Amino acid sequence: MSVSVRPRTIAASAAAAVVLAAAIIFPQVVSSPLLVTMAIFTLIFAIMSSGWNILGGYTGYISLGHAAFFGIGAYALARLSDHITVSTGYEPFFLLPVVGLIGAAFAVPLGIVALRTRRHVFVVLTIAMLFIGQLLATNLRDVTNGSTGQGLPQPPWLGDFFNVPFYYAGLVVLIAAIGVSWWIRRSKFGLSLRAIRDDEDRALGLGVNAGLAKLVCFVVAAFFIAMAGAIYAYFVTYIYPPVVFDPLADLAMVLMAFTGGVGTVWGPVLGAFLIEPAHEYFAFTYGDSGLYLILYGCLFLVVILLLPQGIIPTIRAMIASYRARRSPGPTTATVAGVPPSRKETAAR
Amino acid sequence: MKGTGEMKTVFAGILSVAVIVGLLLSGIPARAASPAAGSPIKVGFSVSLSGDFSADGKAILQGYNLWAADVNKHGGLLGRKVQLVHYDDASSTSQVATNYTKLIRSDKVDLTFGPFSSLLTIPATSVARRYGYAFLAPAGGGPSVFQQHFNNFFFVQPSPVADNLVSFCRWLLKLPKSKRPTTAAYITIDDPFAKPEIDTAKALLSSHGIKTVYNTVLASETTDAQPIGVAAAHAHPQVVLVGSPGPALAVSLTHIFIQQHFNPKALIATSGPDQGKTFSKSVGIKNTEGIMVPEGWWFGAKTYKNTQFINEYLAAYGGTVADISQDVPEAYSAGQVAQQAITKIHSLDNAKLIAQLHHGTFQTVQGAMRFDSAGRPQGQSFIVQWRNGNTIPVYPPSYAVKSVEYPKPNWH
Amino acid sequence: MDLIYGAIVTGILTGGVYALMASGLTLVFGVMDIINVGQGALVVLGAYLTYALQQHLHLDPFLTLLITIPALFLVGVAMQVTLIRRLKRDRTMLSILVTFAVALIIEGLLTQFFSADLVKIDAPYVDASFPIGSVYIAYVYLYGFLLSVGLLAALYIFLYRTKFGQGIRATVQNRVAAELIGINIARVETITFGIGVSLAAAGGMVYGATNTFSPVSAYDLISRLLVIIILGGTGSLFGALVAALLMLIVENITSVVWSPTWSTLVFYVILAAFLLFRPQGIFGKLATRQQ
Repeated sequence: MSVSVRPRTIAASAAAAVVLAAAIIFPQVVSSPLLVTMAIFTLIFAIMSSGWNILGGYTGYISLGHAAFFGIGAYALARLSDHITVSTGYEPFFLLPVVGLIGAAFAVPLGIVALRTRRHVFVVLTIAMLFIGQLLATNLRDVTNGSTGQGLPQPPWLGDFFNVPFYYAGLVVLIAAIGVSWWIRRSKFGLSLRAIRDDEDRALGLGVNAGLAKLVCFVVAAFFIAMAGAIYAYFVTYIYPPVVFDPLADLAMVLMAFTGGVGTVWGPVLGAFLIEPAHEYFAFTYGDSGLYLILYGCLFLVVILLLPQGIIPTIRAMIASYRARRSPGPTTATVAGVPPSRKETAAR
Repeated sequence: MKGTGEMKTVFAGILSVAVIVGLLLSGIPARAASPAAGSPIKVGFSVSLSGDFSADGKAILQGYNLWAADVNKHGGLLGRKVQLVHYDDASSTSQVATNYTKLIRSDKVDLTFGPFSSLLTIPATSVARRYGYAFLAPAGGGPSVFQQHFNNFFFVQPSPVADNLVSFCRWLLKLPKSKRPTTAAYITIDDPFAKPEIDTAKALLSSHGIKTVYNTVLASETTDAQPIGVAAAHAHPQVVLVGSPGPALAVSLTHIFIQQHFNPKALIATSGPDQGKTFSKSVGIKNTEGIMVPEGWWFGAKTYKNTQFINEYLAAYGGTVADISQDVPEAYSAGQVAQQAITKIHSLDNAKLIAQLHHGTFQTVQGAMRFDSAGRPQGQSFIVQWRNGNTIPVYPPSYAVKSVEYPKPNWH
Repeated sequence: MDLIYGAIVTGILTGGVYALMASGLTLVFGVMDIINVGQGALVVLGAYLTYALQQHLHLDPFLTLLITIPALFLVGVAMQVTLIRRLKRDRTMLSILVTFAVALIIEGLLTQFFSADLVKIDAPYVDASFPIGSVYIAYVYLYGFLLSVGLLAALYIFLYRTKFGQGIRATVQNRVAAELIGINIARVETITFGIGVSLAAAGGMVYGATNTFSPVSAYDLISRLLVIIILGGTGSLFGALVAALLMLIVENITSVVWSPTWSTLVFYVILAAFLLFRPQGIFGKLATRQQ
């Protein structure tokens, strides 16, 4: 399957281990709870973006409505925590996998309906999905308490320590998301996804069960995004429909994946680590949501028009072409180093 | 697979750089405030200067600014000047939580005041509670907040929001049976302020025999009230109660009732008719006659420092008294309460402050204030009515300048 | 029963306006295979422009169209030339993202200049109404409907009776063939996009006169418009008209008969049900090998 060069793999694994270690000790060494708070939001977005990427990046089916599962996850946790007693404060975290499964359960019928259509109609349907989610959350007052919103149980932690459990919960879920994403990419399943992305009809002709593959990605993405929503809800302690069914968060999630490199494992994470702290910074400095929307929109335009591959694949391509210029003969490494770009499809 | 090794190295490098850059970008140096005598007392809060609640947020900021200026002109608080530190939360719950964390831990404020809406108040109070800070909120007194039983929360308005229409109901039920309306319509937006007010009123009126002939709750984003207004008019209610968190619904429905030639005997809205010129210009000054709205503050009331407050406002912001939105005196009152409590205990210790706030009575431009253990104010709001192009209090009699005009004259 | 008649009439009148806004969207899709998800924001932009002109220059809202329609035409042309034309590969997908970004920028600009407060376009005749049975219909709905019908008729004449319109229709039918016979595709695309956006100006004026709106109204609007064009069949003008009327009538009746909170949902439920059985919409063509 893969011909990985040993020294490089060790170096790469060591680098990943260093980053992981840094992430683990981060809250302990940093004295400002403000930074930890911002890190928590960053982790939440990284989870969302990685999850989204499993569908949007790997299969090419861009969903502009998966943030609906963020809201479903948030309300799912709110409802579930009505039935448990929160004494130590850690109990809701154990409910996170259940929340993920609830999100996945909602995703199955939605995915079945939405994936019946062509790609651009699919995008439009997912947009509708987000707004339907918001509408339902607003109108099903018995379940969600409508526009008045829902409170979540208040954890008993005080002072600076309050942020710490949320940070680690987010980190654990993110690691899981990255792990799943990496495993999919390396596997035969991931290969079939790439085939679907490049040319679905040809993949069908080759015997790939495209419908099932797409649905699995749709559902897995929903699974992680729902967990992100639950962590957010518990952290902020109060949710109401426009906040957890937020088109702006939805767009941010997609933008982060695009910026870092849609279709790669680490791209969405990188995108989140760049964009979310920048967002917080803008919020403090400018506060003005008008200006902030303008900046977001412009950033999105820049990324789409100038860097449609995202940062990681562009850098990879740059490195590959640099290596190609350096070494005279063709090598498998350089040819292979160019990532599969979104090929021209037959009609366009 | 395809050079994954080098890719990972590159990634790891970029990620580390990104994390560091991210930290640098977001690293705001914590200003160490030395608590030496003579240094200013910092009061921190988050307001909505943009987004959905921005109009009210700006008014709240005005109120806080006026109070701080007033305190500093008269010798400061405990001999020190008051300095306001604030951030814009863009009407976002996550931003408001981050803001208060920053205020308390990075800016090291001594006191925290509240933001505009119930929706933002809960996350904000939660942060303040973690650090033991008292939280005085001029707005955001929906039932959901009190359900949280925050021991550090104090809602600085005469009555909890849900009870705003109680005065109106009392007036209605005191009318002699021959004059009293027998049917009512309730139209409200599903909102943490407006809906509880209407719910309380509906429970009160229907339990006393006033029949509900039309009752509907609208989703917040409903922009076209046409079918609702028409249906309501068709049910011929004698009194209409509108739960409108901002002026939009009240104005829309008024227009629709005018179009449909429908004249209820009494019409009250939770917000909208209290917006002065904005309301009268939109529906036409002649059509405002008789419309009612609950309020917690009136410019003519003889409450503590009210005249002084109005003069300060006009000097700072111009305009007329009628332009002063309710949020301004509400914020001002929050400052007054804090000032009196701190002066009484002669300390900035938040734990002591919380205890004092639970036990004292405080004088504000909105009248006297007392709070229960969940932070509910123990008072009552009054009704204001449009008469000859101006709004005046009409009920309860202790506040009233004139008695209620009933029934409401027909549309022009 | 009168209420239902009133609901049907209002549904027809408002449906006409939505058809106008959606027609620009579906035309662009037919010609360029691009979904302009910024159309909602452009409608709101048109509404705000009318509002500003009315507030500061005291112009009658219908008169402001003389300014806003050309203005938005230019905006559309600018968008197409600077942004859309740059997309070479994967145009449909990327155009969705690009137009979404433009929608955000427009929303941000509107929030900056006008604040987030809800506003409405007032006109002296807004409250005047005429009766149908015991229900009164405001004249502004009727005027708006007449405007929409007029503009749609003008569009029809343009598409079917002028040479340039013929060029547009040829491009919709078969892009390559049209190019081969000498039609300037670039110009067709630019003008079509401009027309699509200028129709948003007109729709915006009527929308603003009958609804309270703010910058965030764009989201609700674009959801409805997208539903309408999908239901009608992407690329079909007649489909957009039928779908718009159908949706608005059903929504109004639901609001009156059942409850206003569920009426918006009915929009989406109908769409979902339809798509399960007929994914191409009422008048659309079945998807061919065109990923």
